[in-house]
Amino acid sequence: MSTLSLRGIVRQFGPLRVIHGIDLDIAQGEFVVFVGPSGCGKSTLLRIIAGLDQPNGGQITIDGRDVTGTRAAERGLAMVFQSYALYPHMTVRQNLAFGLENQRMAKEEVARRVAEAARMLQIEHLLARKPGQLSGGQRQRVAIGRTVTREPGIFLFDEPLSNLDAELRVQMRVELTALHKRLQATMIYVTHDQTEAMTMADRIVVLRAGRIEQQGSPLELYNRPANKFVAGFIGSPRMNFLDGQAVGGRSVAFEGLPNLDIPAARETTEGEAVTLGVRPEHLAFTDGAGLPGTVDIVEQMGGESYIYVTLANEARLTVRRPGQTQLHAGEPVRVAIDGAAHLFGRGDDEHAITPRRLP
Amino acid sequence: MSTLGRLIDAPFEALQRRLGAARMPYVFVAPNLLVFGIFVAAPMILNVWYAVTGGTQLMPAERPFVGASNFGELLDCDQFGVIASCRQDRFWRAVANTAWFVPFQVIGLVAVSLVTALILNRRMAWRGFFRAVFFYPVLLSPVVVALIWKWVLQPDGVLNALIVAGGGARVPFLLDPSWAFSWTVVISIWAHMGFYTLILLAGLQAIPADLYEAAEMDGTPHARVFWRITLPLLMPNMVVVLVLGLIRAVQSFDEIFVLTGGGPGTATQYIVQYIYETAFANQTHILGLAAAASILVGGVLMVLTMLQLAATAWSKR
Repeated sequence: MSTLSLRGIVRQFGPLRVIHGIDLDIAQGEFVVFVGPSGCGKSTLLRIIAGLDQPNGGQITIDGRDVTGTRAAERGLAMVFQSYALYPHMTVRQNLAFGLENQRMAKEEVARRVAEAARMLQIEHLLARKPGQLSGGQRQRVAIGRTVTREPGIFLFDEPLSNLDAELRVQMRVELTALHKRLQATMIYVTHDQTEAMTMADRIVVLRAGRIEQQGSPLELYNRPANKFVAGFIGSPRMNFLDGQAVGGRSVAFEGLPNLDIPAARETTEGEAVTLGVRPEHLAFTDGAGLPGTVDIVEQMGGESYIYVTLANEARLTVRRPGQTQLHAGEPVRVAIDGAAHLFGRGDDEHAITPRRLP
Repeated sequence: MSTLGRLIDAPFEALQRRLGAARMPYVFVAPNLLVFGIFVAAPMILNVWYAVTGGTQLMPAERPFVGASNFGELLDCDQFGVIASCRQDRFWRAVANTAWFVPFQVIGLVAVSLVTALILNRRMAWRGFFRAVFFYPVLLSPVVVALIWKWVLQPDGVLNALIVAGGGARVPFLLDPSWAFSWTVVISIWAHMGFYTLILLAGLQAIPADLYEAAEMDGTPHARVFWRITLPLLMPNMVVVLVLGLIRAVQSFDEIFVLTGGGPGTATQYIVQYIYETAFANQTHILGLAAAASILVGGVLMVLTMLQLAATAWSKR
C-alpha cells in the first residue's frame, strides 16, 4: 500500500502537448479511476506513473520518495495491460512466477505467492496451461494474478476489461472491487467507460485533453458536475442539454418552446446564454405545463423505459422512466423537469452555474 | 468496369461457363504448374534416370541402365574415413569440405543475422538507411560479389595494400588453404545475411511491445529479457533461417567458384562444384555420377531439415 503524488506533470510529443501540468494526490488504499474520452491522456498519465514513459516536466513521488526518472521496476508498482501482455510461450505458473524470479526470490516464497494468487483468483486448475489455451476472462485473471504475486505498493490497470464481452465485464468489475476490498491496496484504473468508473471508484478523475476536468466521488460527479463536459460524460444515458437564454433571474427561455423556471437562473445575468442540463431520469411526462414534443422511439428495457422525444423546436431529449411505459412512437407528449436541473455557462469552460435541486 | 477489365474478363467468363466454377482454380494455377513441371519436376525425374544409367550419352534413351552402380562407385572406399582410399576421392573431398563449411557458415550466418536484426530493431538514427545497407549485398549477382572480394583479397588487392601501408607483410588470402576456406565462409555470410536479417527483423517486430513493457515493470534484466522472451518468441523465424540457411549453405557454389575456383588445390571445392564439374566441366561428362551425387545431397538435406522441424516441434511442447 502506497501513496502517490503528482506535481505539475507535463508530457509532450514534439510540439504536441498531451498532458498539461497535472497535480494529483492519491491516498493509501484508494481506488482511483481515470476516465475520459479517447486521446484525453489517461493512458499516458498511467504510463508516466508506471515509469514506462517519462514526463517532460513535473514530479512523481511514491510514499514521499521522488521517483521521477527512475526505472519502472524501482517504483514497486505492477500493471495489468489492456492486452494482458501474458508471455505466450510460458505456462500460467511461469507467467505468475516470472517477475518474482527476476528478484531472485527464494523458490519456496515464489511457490507460496503463486499458489496464493492462483487460489484468490480461482485459476489453480489453469496453472499448467499456456495463455493461448485460455479464454479471455481466464487470461484476464492470470494478468491480475501476475500483479497480485508481486505484492506491489500500487496496482495499475490500463483498460483491463475492454477486451471482454459485456457479461464477463460486469463479473470482473465485481471481482476487482472485491479484490480491492480484500487487499486494501492502492489502485489506479484507467477506462473510457463511465459505468466502470461509477461502479468501482472511490474517486473518479475526469480527464479531457490532458487536463483534469473534475475529481471526486462517483456521486459527487454525478450530482454536481463542474461543467458541461463532466455532466455529459458521467451518467448513462447521457444528460440532456438544451441551449437557451436566462430571463429575469428566474427562468430560461428556449427558441420555439415555453420558458422554464430554473432556481439556478438566480446566478445568471439577464440575457446570458446558458445550457440547461437534465438527466433522463429527472424528466417526466405531464398533463400540465411542460415542453411539448413527440415520441420518436421507445426502448423497453423491462425494468425501465427509455423514451426518445423530439421537441417542438427539433431539439431531442431522452427520458428514462421506471417500469414499462405505455407510450408509443408518434404520440404527442409534454415533458417536465422532475428532479435536478443544471445550468451551464456557454463560455469556453462551460462551467456549472450553481446547480440546485428543484423543490 | 474499364474496357481493359471487360477484355480480360470475357475469355475467363467463357471458360468458366464451359468448365464450371469448381474447376476454375486449376485454370489459374496451370501456368505456374507448367513452369514448375518443366523446370523443377521434369529435371528431378530425369535426374533419377541419369543416376541409374551409365555412359556419357546425353539423350536419356541412349543411356544403358546400370542400376545402383553409380551410387556404388561414389560410396566405394577401401578404408572407412580415408578419402584417398575412395574410388571417387574428389567426391569425398568435396563432402568433407562441405561438412566443414556448412556448420561454420550456418552458425555464423544465424549469429550475425540475429545480432544485426537486434541492432536494426532498436530505435536509432538512420535506421532505414542501415537496413538498406545490410540488405544490399543480397541484390548483387554472385559473380559481382566474387569479383568485388577478389579485388579486395588478391595478393595486390585492397586489403593487402592496407596491410602493407600499415607496415605489415602481404598475406596470401586466396592462396593459403586455411585463409581461402575462412574467406569463403565470411563472404558467403556477408552476401546472404541481409535476407536472413530481414526474416528475423520481421519476427522481432511481430513481438508485441507490451510484453517488453510487462518485463520492464517486472524488473527483468536485459539478458534475461533476451533469453526468456525475445529468443523463444523468435524461434519460429529462427527455424526458418536455420533451415533455409542450411540448404543454401550446402548449395554454395557460384560466388565461391568464381572467387577461388575451388582452390587452392581442392581446399574450397564444395559438393555442388563437384557435381557441376563431373557433369559439365570435365573432359568426359559423367552425368550418372553427378546425378547420383545430387540425389545423395538432396537426401541428406531432407533428413537434416526434418530433424530440425522435429526438434522445433518437440521444443514447443
